[in-house]
Order: sequence, then structure tokens, then C-alpha cells
Amino acid sequence: MNSLRQYLKAFSSARKLLLYTFLLCFGLMIFLPFLMIALKSIGRGWFGRLWLPPELTLDWYRWAVEVTNIPEITKNTLIIATMAVTMSTLIGIPTGWAFGRRRIPGKELLMSMILLPRMIPPIAYALGVAQIFYRLNLVNTHFGVALAHVAICAPYAILVLSATFEGLDERVMEASAVCGASPVRTFFHVILPLILPGILSSMIFTFTTSYNEFTLTLMTYGKDTITLPVRTYIALGEGYWEVTSAMSIILVIPSLLVLFVIQRQVAPEKLVGGFKGV
Amino acid sequence: MKRGSKTRAALVTLLMLLPGLACFLGLFFYPMMVTVVRSLRPEGAHTGWTLGHYTTFISEPRARDVIFLTFVLSISATLCSIVFSVILCLVLRRKPRGHRFFRLAMLIPRVVPGLIGALGLLLLFGSRGWVNLALIQFVPWITEPVRINYTIGGLILFYTWLYFPFTSVTTLSTLESLDPAIEEAADVSGANRWQVLRHVVIPLIMPGILAGSVLTFMAAFGAFSIPLIAGGNYRPLSVEIFRQIDFTPTRWSAASARAMIMAGLQVVFLTIYMRILRRPSR
Repeated sequence: MNSLRQYLKAFSSARKLLLYTFLLCFGLMIFLPFLMIALKSIGRGWFGRLWLPPELTLDWYRWAVEVTNIPEITKNTLIIATMAVTMSTLIGIPTGWAFGRRRIPGKELLMSMILLPRMIPPIAYALGVAQIFYRLNLVNTHFGVALAHVAICAPYAILVLSATFEGLDERVMEASAVCGASPVRTFFHVILPLILPGILSSMIFTFTTSYNEFTLTLMTYGKDTITLPVRTYIALGEGYWEVTSAMSIILVIPSLLVLFVIQRQVAPEKLVGGFKGV
Repeated sequence: MKRGSKTRAALVTLLMLLPGLACFLGLFFYPMMVTVVRSLRPEGAHTGWTLGHYTTFISEPRARDVIFLTFVLSISATLCSIVFSVILCLVLRRKPRGHRFFRLAMLIPRVVPGLIGALGLLLLFGSRGWVNLALIQFVPWITEPVRINYTIGGLILFYTWLYFPFTSVTTLSTLESLDPAIEEAADVSGANRWQVLRHVVIPLIMPGILAGSVLTFMAAFGAFSIPLIAGGNYRPLSVEIFRQIDFTPTRWSAASARAMIMAGLQVVFLTIYMRILRRPSR
């Protein structure tokens, strides 16, 4: 009996070992690519079968800033993302309210329709967007690129916001009215605090989407509106892997920071969603 | 009076929907229509109709390879994601130490641009990358770097890395909403661990797994940045479309025809997939 218990214990610890090995491999698989980029971006003369770069340098970052003009490109990226977030939120609030709180015949169908841009491969309609923008002279303007991003950001904002508004409890507003608050007061003191987290998370998600967007930018950018992802792609084509790595690190750090900062406040799982039912 | 207020309410709803509808029509529907029309026009012309771009593409022997490759990549990546996600979620569900961290780590491939992920994976699996160094160091019969980048296997691996979160997030949330009492019941009835998993847990979380895998499939089918920089000579449909307009003279009509074929294939395949999905659960 005792030996059986010991055997079972050993078996369970082996299971545990297996479990942790699996988790370790998973963690390595996720993080090693970034570690390798980071090392590549600060290493010099890392050729041949070396585990680590022999010399460290910050030259590649200096190159990235001086030659590829990173500050200007970062400014473009931020301007475009801000415009895209503003437009998506302005679209998302009324439409999300209608979807969340009003009776619409064929609501399900309409919602699926609105979410279609996230289902169809972006390259399929990016072609059309590019052709229209060429005709309207919107290519190579910040507004044009941002507008192209709205195609993919707005459905997301509508989805997140409609879920937020749907969660608003009618009784809270009634209670506020019963207690004698005017509609304006109810809005500022009751409704706004309740919906603000939803609006903020929608803004964060659309910002990340726009900040990382590649396909639609590639179709609509010009020499004055190069964004970080597009510049990284161009640098990759030029073949300077070290400089590209440095740019990638500059590009990726804000995204990771956002993920770690917001993880407590909003369910970060939503970053993966933006589709029906997720 | 009542009727009047009803029409007014409907009007207000319509007004509220207007921004979203305008966005959909202007930034999705109209571009799609432009693409359709463009694909039916002779190259560079604004009048006349032709089906030539479709027929030339389909009659090319390469077209079959391109479409086949797109499906092979997306279906294998979907299958790999399902297997990997189920194992990962079953592990994470036991709440091992640091599970919060791993939950967050699971989202990273979706938070960073695909471009960066591809760059890191290319470095990691390259002939001088750590994976090959480790293989050479620790596996006796491997002395030369193994070629992983720019191969089909490597591409499937990269796709899986990038798109598994869709599957794992939905699987995990389904798994966590599962009532433990059901498993206990199976356990009490004398089923062993494997039987509980095989006959109780997996069938119950199947809808979650499948819903997630649809998302993985769609993303993998439309994948663009990964095959663009990590595909080498393997060009799925999306890269094939881009190549038509990347070089001068740009061939917008040819690109549009390919885009329509791609969108059409996706819709058809998704419809079939949904059909298959619905059956076992009913």
C-alpha cells in the first residue's frame, strides 16, 4: 500500500515536471524571438556559431535615429493612430449605443455585416481603398492613412462599445431620476463613470490596432506618411538586419508596455477578439 | 401620438447607426465594389468589360500551386494551433505557478506586429540562430544547421506562432466556464483521467475550440506580413496579389481579380467549415 502511494507520488511529480517543461518551452518559444531581436540590435560582429554577440554597441540605434529618421516616423505613426482612434470612437459611440440599447430589426445580421471588414482578408479591400484614395488624392496624407485604418478599427470600437452600453443597468438611471437628478446630472454623475472604462478600453484597443497596422498602411502610404511598421518592412528589404532589429525594438516596446499596464484594468483577451462572439 | 413617437424613435436609431453604416459602406463595401469592377476591366482602361484576368490566372499552372499552398498553410496552421492550444489550456487550467504570466504571454503574438514576430522567428530559427546552435551542440547526429526558414514546415510553425492565440483564448474561456461538477460526476462513476478528458471534457469544450479555430483559419488564410518577409519562394495568394502592384507597371486589374478569387474562396470554405461545425453539436 505504502509503495503504491510512493509510486503514485513519483508519477504525479513526473507529471508536474512534464507540465513545467511544457510551460517553459512555451515561454521560451514566445520570448526568445524578442530576446534575439534585442541582442541583435545591440550586438556587433555576431556571425558564425556564437551564442551571444561578442561586442555590444548602440550604433544601430544611432543609425536608426539618424539615417532612417525614426523621430519623424514615430511622429507620423502617433498622429495617424490618434486620428484613427478619434474617428473610430466618434463612430463607435452612437452606433454602439444603437446596437447596445435600441431595438433594431435584424440586429444580428447588421452586426455581422459591420464586422465583415475583420473577417475578409484586409488585402482584398485594401486594393479598393488604395484605388479610391488615389482618385481622391488622399494617398500620402495623414488623414488618408488614418481613414484607411478606420476601416478596421471602427468595427472593433462598435463591438466593444455596444457590449459596454448593453451592460448598463436601466434601473440605475431610473434610481438616479427618482432621486431627483436632472438628465444632465444623471449623465455626468451616473452614466459617464459607468461607461468610461469601456470607452477607454475601446480607445486602447483601436490605438494598438492602428499602431500595428501594416497591410492597409502599405497600400496607402507615401513618402511623408511612412509609419513604423512600414519603415521596418522597408529596412528589412534593404537587408540591414541589425538596424531593422533596433527599429523593431523601438516599435515593439510601447505595445508590450500597453499590454502589461492594461492587463489589470481591462480583460486583455479582448485584444485578440474583435470578432463576433469573442 | 404613439405612432408618431415610434417613428421618431426609429429615426433616432437610424441616425445613431448612420456613422457605423457610413463607415461600412464607404470603407468596405465601396472599395470591394471598386475591386470587383476593376477586376472586370481591361488593364488600365476605364471602359469595357473582360473576364480575361480571371481566366489567365486560373489557366496558369502556377495558380493551382498558389491556391493549394494557401490552403495547406492555413489548414495545417489551424490544426497545429488546435492541438497546441488544447494542451496549453488544459495545463493552464490547473493554475500552475505563474499561470497569470503565461496567460499574458499567450497574447503577445497578437499584440506585436506580425512583421516583428516574423523577424524574431527568422533570427531564432536561422542557420545561426539559437535553435540550430542548440541542435548542433546537444543532438549528436546533427552537425550542420537544419534549414527551417523559408521551408513549408518553417512557415507552418511561424503561422502557428502568430495565430494560435485566437484558438487558445476561446478554448481557455470555454474550459474555465465548464462546471467542475460534470467532471466529478464522471470521476465518481469510475472513469479514469484519460476517459474523463476524452469523453467528457473535450466534447464539452469542442464548440469553443472550433469557434477559435475558425478565427485562426481566417487569419492564416489572409496572412500577409509573415509570408511576405518569411515566405521566400512560397507565395500564398495574399503575397501574389501584392506582387501584382508592387512592381511597375502596376497591374491593378490582375491584382483585383486575384483578390476576388481569394475573398470568394474564403467565403466558400468558411461556409463549408460552418456546416461541418454545426453538425456534431446538434
